[in-house]
Amino acid sequence: MELIQRAYDGLLTGTVLVLAVLIIFSMIRSVLGPRIADRIIAVNMIGTMIIMIIAVLSVYLRENYLVDICLIYALISFLGVVVLCKVYTGVYLQKKQMKADLGAIEDNLTKQALEEPEGLWEGKTEKAEDDERKEEMPV
Amino acid sequence: MIWEWIRFAVSAGFLLTGLVFMILAVFGVNRFGHALNRMHAAAMGDTLGILFVILGLMMMRGFSMDSLKLSLVILFFWTASPVSGHMISRLEAMTNEDLGEIAVIHREKEAKKDENI
Repeated sequence: MELIQRAYDGLLTGTVLVLAVLIIFSMIRSVLGPRIADRIIAVNMIGTMIIMIIAVLSVYLRENYLVDICLIYALISFLGVVVLCKVYTGVYLQKKQMKADLGAIEDNLTKQALEEPEGLWEGKTEKAEDDERKEEMPV
Repeated sequence: MIWEWIRFAVSAGFLLTGLVFMILAVFGVNRFGHALNRMHAAAMGDTLGILFVILGLMMMRGFSMDSLKLSLVILFFWTASPVSGHMISRLEAMTNEDLGEIAVIHREKEAKKDENI
């Protein structure tokens, strides 16, 4: 009975050690990864391996509550990946929008420089419209 | 006594199979060149790796509430991992502008043959 207990302990310890080494390798990839998607993939894999380590520990230490922690860790890791993807998609779209806006402004400036300055009266009409609106507004 | 050892052997086999899958997944993530190829390797660790590791742990625990919860972890992972994979691939496909060229893995020998011809 003593021998089989030692065998189980050795097996679980070896599993945790191998998983720790794998986490280090995947962390290296998350630092090296050239694009943001590579980093997110590596972080997701680190989360998977940490969940495995917590599950192994729950058997090794004979603590039941660690399984619940394992479940909650899985939920939060999934949520983190989804939120990171959403955030970086938003950042990319915002950058694209900004670039498009700058290009439109430059186009407008070149167009205005090429054209004769006839467009000045448009501003006047806008101002007149604003004045009319102000007059219409109930005080 | 012999049954105990048989149970130990089966659970050790499951655990080591899961570890082999995880090692392959990390190897693939470190070796492949593009993010979508890397996702292919990482998904294997997310599904098969965690399945075998947790099956081994369930064999060790026997039938109890804990092994039920561990099976719940597998269930959650198998539903959540494709969703997160889809999100990551959509992010990559949206932000990578030169994704149009198809990624091909060339072997060195074939490349040399092509050069000789």
